[in-house]
Amino acid sequence: MASRFWTQGGDSDTEEEESDYDEQEETVAVETTTATAASRYYSGNASDSDDSDGQKRVVRRVKDKRFDEMSATVDQMKNAMKINDWVSLQESFEKINKQLGKVMRVTESDKPPNLYIKALVMLEDFLNQALANKEAKKKMSSSNAKALNSMKQKLKKNNKLYEDLINQCREKPELFEEKVEDEQEPEDEDDEEDEDDDFDEDPATLESEESEEEEEAGKDESGLGWEKMLSKKDKMMDKQFKDPSQITWDTVNKKFKEIVAARGKKGTGRMELVEQLTFLTRVAKTPAQKLEILFSVISAQFDVNPSLSGHMPINVWKQCVQNLLVILDILTQYSNIVVDDMVEPDENETQKGADFDGTIRIWGNLVAFLERVDVEYFKSLQVIDPHTREYVERLKDEPMFLVLAQNVQEYLERVGDYKGASKVALKRVELVYYKPQEVYDAMRKLAEQDNGGEESGDETKAVEESRGPPAFVATPELVPRKPTFPENSRTLMDILVSLIYKYGDERTKARAMLCDIYHHAILDEFSTSRDLLLMSHLQDSVQHMDISTQILFNRAMAQLGLCAFRVGLVTESHSCLSELYSAGRVKELLAQGVSQSRYHEKTPEQERLERRRQMPYHMHINLELLEAVHLICAMLLEVPNMAANGHDAKRKVISKNFRRLLEVSERQTFTGPPENVRDHVMAATRALRQGDFEKSFAVIKSLDVWRLLRNKDNVLEMLKAKIKEEALRTYLFTYSSSYDSISLDHLSKMFDLSDAQTRSIVSKMMINEELHASWDQPTGCIVFHDVEHTRLQALAFHLTEKLTILAETNERAIEARIGGGGLDGLPLRRKDGQDYAGAAASGGGGGRWQEFSFSQGRQGSSGGRTGGGRGSGFLGGGGFSRDRQARSGRYQSSRHQDGPGRVYGAGSAARGGQMDGSTRMVNLRS
Amino acid sequence: MTSKYDLTQRIAPQLDRHLVFPLLEFLQERGMYPEEDILKAKIELLNNTNMVDYAMDIHKSLYRSEDVPQEMVERRAEVVGRLKALEEAAAPLVTFLQNPNAVQELRADQQHNLRMLNDRYQIGQEQIEALYQYAKFQFECGNYSGAADYLYQYRALCTNTERSLSALWGKLAAEILMQNWDIALDELNSLKEIIDSKSFSSPMNQVQSRIWLMHWSLFIFFNHDNGRTLIIDLFNQDKYLNAIQTNAPHLLRYLATAFIVNKRRRPQFKEFIKVIQQEQCSYKDPITEFLACVYVNYDFDGAHKKMKECEEAILNDPFLGKRVEEGNFATVPLRDEFLENARLFIFETYCRIHQRIEMSVLAEKLNLNYEEAERWIVNLIRTSKLEAKIDSKTGTIVMEPNHTNVYEQLIDHTKSLSGRTYKLVSQLLEHAQPQTAR
Repeated sequence: MASRFWTQGGDSDTEEEESDYDEQEETVAVETTTATAASRYYSGNASDSDDSDGQKRVVRRVKDKRFDEMSATVDQMKNAMKINDWVSLQESFEKINKQLGKVMRVTESDKPPNLYIKALVMLEDFLNQALANKEAKKKMSSSNAKALNSMKQKLKKNNKLYEDLINQCREKPELFEEKVEDEQEPEDEDDEEDEDDDFDEDPATLESEESEEEEEAGKDESGLGWEKMLSKKDKMMDKQFKDPSQITWDTVNKKFKEIVAARGKKGTGRMELVEQLTFLTRVAKTPAQKLEILFSVISAQFDVNPSLSGHMPINVWKQCVQNLLVILDILTQYSNIVVDDMVEPDENETQKGADFDGTIRIWGNLVAFLERVDVEYFKSLQVIDPHTREYVERLKDEPMFLVLAQNVQEYLERVGDYKGASKVALKRVELVYYKPQEVYDAMRKLAEQDNGGEESGDETKAVEESRGPPAFVATPELVPRKPTFPENSRTLMDILVSLIYKYGDERTKARAMLCDIYHHAILDEFSTSRDLLLMSHLQDSVQHMDISTQILFNRAMAQLGLCAFRVGLVTESHSCLSELYSAGRVKELLAQGVSQSRYHEKTPEQERLERRRQMPYHMHINLELLEAVHLICAMLLEVPNMAANGHDAKRKVISKNFRRLLEVSERQTFTGPPENVRDHVMAATRALRQGDFEKSFAVIKSLDVWRLLRNKDNVLEMLKAKIKEEALRTYLFTYSSSYDSISLDHLSKMFDLSDAQTRSIVSKMMINEELHASWDQPTGCIVFHDVEHTRLQALAFHLTEKLTILAETNERAIEARIGGGGLDGLPLRRKDGQDYAGAAASGGGGGRWQEFSFSQGRQGSSGGRTGGGRGSGFLGGGGFSRDRQARSGRYQSSRHQDGPGRVYGAGSAARGGQMDGSTRMVNLRS
Repeated sequence: MTSKYDLTQRIAPQLDRHLVFPLLEFLQERGMYPEEDILKAKIELLNNTNMVDYAMDIHKSLYRSEDVPQEMVERRAEVVGRLKALEEAAAPLVTFLQNPNAVQELRADQQHNLRMLNDRYQIGQEQIEALYQYAKFQFECGNYSGAADYLYQYRALCTNTERSLSALWGKLAAEILMQNWDIALDELNSLKEIIDSKSFSSPMNQVQSRIWLMHWSLFIFFNHDNGRTLIIDLFNQDKYLNAIQTNAPHLLRYLATAFIVNKRRRPQFKEFIKVIQQEQCSYKDPITEFLACVYVNYDFDGAHKKMKECEEAILNDPFLGKRVEEGNFATVPLRDEFLENARLFIFETYCRIHQRIEMSVLAEKLNLNYEEAERWIVNLIRTSKLEAKIDSKTGTIVMEPNHTNVYEQLIDHTKSLSGRTYKLVSQLLEHAQPQTAR
């Protein structure tokens, strides 16, 4: 309690002090100008003390004693000064302060003795001298240097009290010489000590003061506009520029340089800087000068928020955008002004007036500014809580930025800077790509409505400006303040993206490509989107790119997966998504939240980095939907697969993730009703394995993520068809061995499919050799052949396979010994063999087994059989599965895994020549 | 008439102006579009060539009048004038080339030839250049044989590779238009080599050249005897297939047809089916759909329906629907072949998944009557293309079970092993002997 009280007291004290300080400063200023008044004051004072002298003769001796003590201390100080010993100097200083109290009590006066003042003056001079001598300062011992520093502060503080006296002393040392004895002391000791205590807090209070100032400025500005905030200096400036006729280019330029020089220095308010500069823009003499100052204004505005994680205040952001628009206005009006950041322009370049014919160079970089504005916008969205109204309000600023970007882009194109234009185009693309048509329409509408509101804003601004001095360089609003959006988001994307493909650099192009892919995927154009991805070979190169691009890649892949699912391509969808889920860090991969890893702690630095690259909420891809789609795809592929390989379930795993989840759910003793997405899919899986497609579908349909889909009914319809199909396949796999024949009618009825569908599905299975059966056309039955290998036969096959591997290893061993070329006769076989070895090495080796046996069989017995179809069919079976692998390989290749180092095995496409690399990136869209 | 499957619009931009004429002629013959439109298109086409007389004729027949627009007359005068000028410029070289004795002095060495021409006949680069221009002009005028000759000779003398390439293109076009298929094929191959080997300024150009080449080659392949094999060889190369998939998916029709018509089943066929599956969204026509039905969806009824559409598409395609006059009735040989093979395709796949098929159903599927179907199948069985028996009592065909015996499979597996081991040992010994001898 006491301590709190104490601190409070301290606080108020310091505040008082500050105000004191201000007053003093002002009085000093006044007194320096009016020296005569001061001297009069002095003489008056002197006579006063004379009077008191006469009255208090009685205590003369005590007083003398005190004065003697004091002068002894002063002597000590002088000695200390000679040997430059600041430690003892400090002690003496404290001593003299105590003695001062005693002397004053004795003399009962309110004025410190001249001796004291002289000492102070001496001390101050010496201090300044010591501070100026840097080298000597360096040589000092640490304790000495410390003492020097504390002395500096104490002295400064202390001297303030006696400021006027000191000044007098400096001016008229002789005055003080005489009256050494007659001085009186104004203050008591306690006060002094109190102050000493406060010294420590000083720096802190200084800073807080600064921030207070800033806050105040901020408040003012958001409250009542511009003219209210004229602070002291502004007033001064106002005065300076009061008379428009007197303002010349030179004065403005000088003031501008002055202000810019103050930038970044301690004690310069950032907001204040902005205001001063803004004021200057109004008095700028030439358009070029105005431009130059505006650039500085914008830089200063960017500086308002110094920290990396925070964002620029929104109102400042808006002003910044407006300023950029004004810049564009000027640039449009005076087409001879060139903005460039390559060369340092002449000192007096801006002197050239509006009627100057040649080109005027101004330093600046519009693209960099625009990118910075975008970054600030992005950051603000990251920071603001997405569930508040503020977030929505902030989102509404997007059209504003789009206008700016559009204008900058147009300007750059006009100037011929296509590289910059493509960068700006990318910024626009990045604001549009994730928007489905509905959202895009909404944005368009918003932008149109906004226009009405903005006009009134302009009016008020005009009023304000008329109140201040009229701007010398009037800039009419040439650049449109309203975005023009094409009807269709796709058209907009196409325009922008083709510009980028033409002129952009590698990174810009890659990002634009990813945005393009994403956008196509949103519009359900799976094939276009897939082709773009495959043609650009981005999945090969993406791991070398920066993390934010990798995140974009992951987002595009996720969206591609969703798109594939919507159009009913389960395999493709699964291969797009499986990689995202393989490590269980979807959130991190999509930058939609930080996932806690159980195994390794992140350093705060990592965490901060991660937080900085989070996607704003409105750009998120719904994770539940994503998970549902991924798991359902895995289910549709995995359930029949498990049924087909019932005796050897571990052999061929399509989705490890799904298998693991299934194991977990099977291990549960009791299964409750499904709660989350995972439970639902697991319940559906259980039903599907029984062949109960209706229940399976019902469970999945009850998921509420489906409402997020635009064409929900179609998707569910598709899903139902798929589930039926897979249920049929599962059923056939599981129970085919129990039947000799099944009629088509029965099957169709069982799975609620049309005859043609059933026939097609079963035929496919037959041709792919998944099902050993054939149709009996007259009766419409499936007749199953009993071709299951017996245990012995299966073992025999295993044995032959091992033998092949053995022979293969031998060959390779010999090859290594003899050297290459020794085995000319066997190249083809060797190649085959390597495959097996590889397969065997990857566990089991059974995967390749069937394919192998068939092609071998074909080779061996082709003599008697010619009907080409048969042979080709066999190969076809193999071909399809190979294709599947190749595809997935191509999709999965590799992906951002939190930083460098982890590179996923990039599966190269089987049909690698699919697109010849170099050609594609370029000829996509040009 | 249906012009649904007409590809002229997509093909024409990839062809030379002169090469579009045969296509338009065909369309005119088929009567798919109003005559007037085609005539107008022809005039449009001729406007930028020098075949002004021809354009005038068409104009007359189009508007049924004797008047010819003034600009055509003017253009004619201009063309004639320019022809004269070019002829003069190229005259020294032309006379030289027409002199058989002089030509014999030319040798295989190009440098030598150039020097010789320069020294003895005062024929320098300008004249050679003039020859090119003259040949080009001749081509524009429709004098293809002359153009072809000059271009041939120009290529022998030309030092500029860029020019040489365009001369080759011109030569190819001229040969195609003269219907010298063998020579055209040679030109095509040399052009292909250049395109494949040359490092183009941009990959984009290379792809474009490939696409042109493929389009132009259609003329050759569907007229040359061996074309159907060659077209697969060319189009199915990875680089060319990529070009097709990227920029000209309509060429898939021709490749698909070639695959179907080709007797020999090729290993690439499976790959091709996948391509078709992939490109289904960007291009489809009855022929590719037919393949998709048979090999992707196993929808035989659908395939059956598609066959009829295919017939129509083939008849209306300028390349596929080429007619052969035989006596007093015309046949389209490719159509017949296509249908025959397509039928076989269906049947093969159908048989693979059936154990027993009723003859009547089969006959219906094959568009044959019962007797014919029986004869067809008996033939297949006799030539051992099909392992089946006809059960004539029930009117069904019974397929022989085709499962390879497990033992057979095992033997197949192990059979090669002993051979390999022997080879291995002998190699080892061979290697070991020189070492011991040393």
